[in-house]
Amino acid sequence: MNIFRKLPNVNKEKNIRAYLFLLPALLLAVLFSFIPLAKSFIGSFLTISQSGKVLGFAGLGNYISLFKNQAFLSSIANTARFTVFFLPLNTLITLAAAALTRKKRRYTAISEFIFMTPMAFSLSALALIFKELFRGRVSVINRLTGLSLEWLDQSGPAMAVLVILGLFLDFALDYILLLSAFRGTDKSIIEAAEIDGASGGKLFFLIELPSIKNILSITIFMALKDAVLISAPVMVLTEGGPFRSTETVMYFYYLEAFRSGNRAVENTIAVLMVVFSSILMSLISRRRRDV
Amino acid sequence: MKKLFSIMVMLILMFPILAGGNSEDESIVTIWHSNSGSIGTAFDEIVDNFNETVGKEKGIEIEAIYQGAANDVLTKVKAAAAANVSSLPDIAQLDATAALDMMNSDYLVLPETLGVDTSLVMESAIESLMSERGLLAVPFNASSLLFYYNKTLFDSLGLSAPETIDDFAAIAPLLGEKAADGTITRYAFAGVPTTYELGAFIGAQNGLSYFVNNENGHTGTPTKVLFEEEGTFAEFLVHWKNLYDTGYVSNITSGISTEFAAGRTATMLASSSNLSTVLNTVGDRFEVGTAFVPKTNDEATGGVNIGGGAMFAFTDNENVRTVLEYLISEGVQLEWAEKTGYMPVNTGLSDNDEYLAFLDSNPQFKVAMEQTEVSNPKLTGVWLPSAYQIYYSFQTEIRNVTEGGKPIDKAVHDMAAIVQQALDDYAEQNII
Repeated sequence: MNIFRKLPNVNKEKNIRAYLFLLPALLLAVLFSFIPLAKSFIGSFLTISQSGKVLGFAGLGNYISLFKNQAFLSSIANTARFTVFFLPLNTLITLAAAALTRKKRRYTAISEFIFMTPMAFSLSALALIFKELFRGRVSVINRLTGLSLEWLDQSGPAMAVLVILGLFLDFALDYILLLSAFRGTDKSIIEAAEIDGASGGKLFFLIELPSIKNILSITIFMALKDAVLISAPVMVLTEGGPFRSTETVMYFYYLEAFRSGNRAVENTIAVLMVVFSSILMSLISRRRRDV
Repeated sequence: MKKLFSIMVMLILMFPILAGGNSEDESIVTIWHSNSGSIGTAFDEIVDNFNETVGKEKGIEIEAIYQGAANDVLTKVKAAAAANVSSLPDIAQLDATAALDMMNSDYLVLPETLGVDTSLVMESAIESLMSERGLLAVPFNASSLLFYYNKTLFDSLGLSAPETIDDFAAIAPLLGEKAADGTITRYAFAGVPTTYELGAFIGAQNGLSYFVNNENGHTGTPTKVLFEEEGTFAEFLVHWKNLYDTGYVSNITSGISTEFAAGRTATMLASSSNLSTVLNTVGDRFEVGTAFVPKTNDEATGGVNIGGGAMFAFTDNENVRTVLEYLISEGVQLEWAEKTGYMPVNTGLSDNDEYLAFLDSNPQFKVAMEQTEVSNPKLTGVWLPSAYQIYYSFQTEIRNVTEGGKPIDKAVHDMAAIVQQALDDYAEQNII
């Protein structure tokens, strides 16, 4: 078998065993990712009934009608709007929190505990709490801040609440990754820089930050993935409202595919999202090679 | 030995893929339902009661599984049906948004096939589920749109509930309240009407009007939008804009009953099934009044349609029939109505002393029944594909007209185009 010959210095038996151990995962991947993807890809060029019967060949018709769909186009705009606010804020806030608590001192355990706790809450529980906090003009948040916004009933504020929720959901994991990156940095480099006279901002921006850029780029791309694929928080918090202003691409997909049983939209969006993610992934891997 | 071990590990890991599928046991009747909170408790009691009495006698056990809101139940039913018809429950409680999909499905078992006796079920509830295939499901939790108002406030102003939208516009400035700096502290009305409310606002016009052809989809899958050429949506928008222009209508789409309970809006439109919850939330802050939904104009005499939910069956056996007949029996419907505020679907209750006494001591509940009695039974909820998306589109167009100053003709035209597109897509994907 050719594939085994390519791996040097490993004997055949070990190879076979390795593949055997890989088999379950491979099988799952093929069964639940690759086969459905192939099915969606083929299906996106066909007209399929709700019950799954193929009714005819649609050519590019499904794609054309998708891009003529005003709700789909505005869901792209909504997702972009979310990403534009979420991504930089998320990066800045988690980086700032990790940077400020990166030196282990006596009481850092307290801040670490506080920053890591959001991880212990489930997404839907947090979303429901947010929904209550921001509900109506007599909301808790309005009482606390003295504002009188109808947060979830106005397009701008509703998006803001969604962004805040997103930040809250991603904060803990990103914080842990960045913090451990800061703490895992080789101390000798920092000490060497200090001996050379670097300190304060210079030390941070020229030595410490570059040494964690690998992890930082991972958190940025994870946040990007979360932003592009966001749907569950939307489902619980706003249901796409008010007036479909927080309806993201994946929530639109959920509505059309699962609520309405629209196979044309289901397959076309699935294919488009895979293509889009692949482009993103290839960008990441190119970047990673540079590092 | 090691090889054997790895094979075993592999098999164990694969097991979850191969396992699955449920055993068929006719003595257990599974119901997927959407009743939560106090309504859920009431439903569980009904189920427990069955299992201890009728069920025990006949060897039937109801297994009730809460599956989220009505549209979540529908999503799951459709997913189950797409995967494998045997994974469907025996019965699912669904609402009108499910009707079109159910009508065109091959796995639905009609009450007629089961032989369920529905002779005592009220006419408008039957009509609400009547399709070209016959009665689709057994009505269980019937409700209708209701006008809720702050009775304490109305009484203090010497006002009574408005009969038409124009009447409402005339009193709206009295109901509203402004602070010294011009911010509105109390609205006359909060909410943006959508498919459900328009069921009355459009449906009641000229005695009886439909959104789409085939009697709102009840005599066949709808293919054509009617509310544009018949001018019914435009007529509604003219009057509604008039009301909005008083400045005391708040275009919010969530948390409306919270605003109502907080006294920040004098009135709202909501399902009669919310009555118990609203009364509990308001408590003794003020007296809650209920009234007929204001008419779009003087000729809008059709009334309101029956909404709520019904029990759709997917298994054809004697036990399912027994359970369905139990659920619509007089005793169960009485208990259900008293605990939840749903309208009982069993007409046998119209001369039941216990029920009449209940209505007398709870006049707010009585209004819903009276409104239904004077409504045209042919006035039925609209069955549309992509119901959820259309729901939001209606709200968007109404807001465009009221807030954005969009010309009514254009809003109606755009809305009709959206619905027509949904109908065309559905027709293309489902050869009918």
